[in-house]
Amino acid sequence: MGLFLAENIAKHFGGIAALSAARLELAAGEVHALMGENGAGKSTLARICAGSLRPDAGRIELAGQDVILADPLDAQRLGIGIIYQELDLFPHLTVGENLVIGNLNFAEGAFARPKAIAEFCRPLLAQAGLTVDCATWVSSLSIAQQQLLAIARALSMNCRILFMDEPTSALSEDAAERLFEVIALLKARGVAIVYVSHKMDEIFRLSDRVTVLRDGKTIGTRATASTDRAELIRMMVGRDLDSAARSIKPADQAVSLAVENLTTRKLKDVSFELHRGEVLGIAGLVGAGRSELGAALFGIDPVHNGRILLKGQEFRPASPSDAQRRGMGLVPEDRKLQGLMLQMSVKENATLSVLSRVSRWGLLSAGAEKTLFDPAAQRLRLKPASPDLPVGKLSGGNQQKVLLARAIFADPDFLFLDDPARGIDVAAKEDIYRLISELAASGKSILLASSELPELMRCADRILVLREGRVTGMFPASDATQEAIMAAATHSFAEAG
Amino acid sequence: MFAWGPTIARASRSRLFQVPSLIALVALVIMAALTSPTASDGSHIFFEIGNLTDILRQVSVIGIIALGMTLVILTGGIDLSVGSVLALSTALVASLLTRNWVPGVPALQMALAIAAAVLACGLAGALNGLVVARLQVQPFIVTLASMFGVRGLAKWFTANENIDIGFGKDVAAQFAGIFRDKTVVIGSYVAAAILFWILLSKTVFGRHVRAIGDNPTASIYAGLPILKTQLWVYSLTGLLAGFAGVLYAAENHQGNPNAGIAYELDAIAAVVIGGTRLSGGQGTIAGTIIGTLIMGVLTNILRLNNIDSNVEMMVKAVIIVLAVAVQRKGRS
Repeated sequence: MGLFLAENIAKHFGGIAALSAARLELAAGEVHALMGENGAGKSTLARICAGSLRPDAGRIELAGQDVILADPLDAQRLGIGIIYQELDLFPHLTVGENLVIGNLNFAEGAFARPKAIAEFCRPLLAQAGLTVDCATWVSSLSIAQQQLLAIARALSMNCRILFMDEPTSALSEDAAERLFEVIALLKARGVAIVYVSHKMDEIFRLSDRVTVLRDGKTIGTRATASTDRAELIRMMVGRDLDSAARSIKPADQAVSLAVENLTTRKLKDVSFELHRGEVLGIAGLVGAGRSELGAALFGIDPVHNGRILLKGQEFRPASPSDAQRRGMGLVPEDRKLQGLMLQMSVKENATLSVLSRVSRWGLLSAGAEKTLFDPAAQRLRLKPASPDLPVGKLSGGNQQKVLLARAIFADPDFLFLDDPARGIDVAAKEDIYRLISELAASGKSILLASSELPELMRCADRILVLREGRVTGMFPASDATQEAIMAAATHSFAEAG
Repeated sequence: MFAWGPTIARASRSRLFQVPSLIALVALVIMAALTSPTASDGSHIFFEIGNLTDILRQVSVIGIIALGMTLVILTGGIDLSVGSVLALSTALVASLLTRNWVPGVPALQMALAIAAAVLACGLAGALNGLVVARLQVQPFIVTLASMFGVRGLAKWFTANENIDIGFGKDVAAQFAGIFRDKTVVIGSYVAAAILFWILLSKTVFGRHVRAIGDNPTASIYAGLPILKTQLWVYSLTGLLAGFAGVLYAAENHQGNPNAGIAYELDAIAAVVIGGTRLSGGQGTIAGTIIGTLIMGVLTNILRLNNIDSNVEMMVKAVIIVLAVAVQRKGRS
């Protein structure tokens, strides 16, 4: 017992605590599942244990001795490997080069010898079930083949502990089966495997023990054989259902947005109706299609099939500006990547989509811009030191408010808010919740996608649950429970219900 | 009593002095004052009006190109074709002036020749913009291709010959007389600079230019007219290079298909010395003007002191690296 122990691990990212009291203890030859809601800290903990992130506090013990993991190579030297959720392969190198690069077990000289690489790689590729030549370019492999290559890379590290961060999220069933065989093989060799996943079926099939994280804390570790889905879900979502559902129900039952059998690259047959003045929550795990629904409605992802009806009229958005003209607004999930112009000022960011309102003949009026911006800043309690400050210098909450201002200035009838309260402080969250209910009260229809269930239960009138691009549940917020939503999101609904 | 300390502290915190390129320009001028040869009456030659306006005239061609380059770089792009476009413009304008196709109305012929040359260059720019925006090919590649293509066009058009503009009394000579005049050249640069300063800092178009370069993905989500903006940015750059070609032809009394080689690099240097980020989103016209002046003053100082022009290039190399390094540091 006690191959590996990490305890009291804490990690902050820019003031937000990702982990506060995480604990993970591993035995040799076990498959240990790591579970938790989105943002519970699973990936962060895995990365810290594999040396690719440094913890702010806590200690790590390997075979009874304290160790400090300075970087991934350090961890590899001690026999700890990791396969990341995102593929971290070099697409412009060959299969063989990807396997030997940075590998401690392969002695590299000044020149790479193709023969030596091939000899080193052949058995690894065979074990992983990847039937391609070592000299194949990685960019020419399919995603599933690339996953198998990532598995081969994990095998090549020859490690005692292997972290796998949602390894099956991009795998076909065949490839997943191959992965399970590899896991069994490693387990038989005495390797401890940490298996990060949402997928209940896989966890019950593969794992010996399960550790559940919630809000950056380890809630507990159970032997898989002596627990069940219900208990795990309870551990993940917690018992503290403090927030009441929104009391104001939509008085107006007119359907303002109807989506019928919407199918895109990532969505399959999504249908729902949205009423005037309603807040429809959208729940689902990472990759379930929440953001993709916004992308389809906003003209970013092309619609393959199905219809969108805006106030009864068919609408096929060609581009975001087209969608904006039809009264659709979107606040994207990733503030920094999809939302903000970080070098531009707060005011410039807020007014960016409605410059025609503050200009004449293309010439901007500073006065008109101020007249538009100031009341909105007050309404949103946007408090930058100066509206001319680069928006990149603001806190996450204020940045989010800038994006909300941008969307609201366009005066949309429909607003898709993609995780608007993610990673921001409590006060700013309250401001945003207040704004959502104000907007709904003024007759706007709002789609609120969120990874936090309490948030949805508090703000939404109804909650739509997505899983793998399909609608798997629709609950009135008044009688939704976190357990039921989680069950629909992880699709053990049939078994649990 | 007047307190100097706080005043100086306040001044040094003011926005002007946080622009490193301006500090560099001031430092260069001080250096010029210290090293300038003196005339017989003891005054510094550098500070003579004639010398200072010479500097402005000499930087005008690159300065005008650099204005357009600023917009292109702000969108996250680059335009390597401006030198070739300038050459095409000199060839077109000289050719149209030395042929007798609008007999009897020299002013009209002059105006038409200039307009045709500038518009053709605008079209070349529009083509760059169209390929960048529509086909989403990297600006570096697109304009590298048009750098070769337009240079070839100019050489083909003139059959590799220079088209000389005479010194007589014909329309071509009149043209050269007007457009190599110091006041006209400097006036053109100043007018273009003011126009582009307004365009970038006071218009919806300018705001879009910066936004697109700052964050292309967010620009899509914000519903900005990305295609139209890119098309205009490259077109305007083509127009400016074409106009710079008109001035070049007048100054050198010829249409020269080999003109403007490496001018794109001088323009890019002026832009980055002026504090514009090569990755886009941040930069000003004022900065580019300062960058242009730094290069011009530097050349002038070295020439006044009879220093080899090869040394000048080495000094420029150091200035470019220093300017960008200092500005990086200032940001972080």
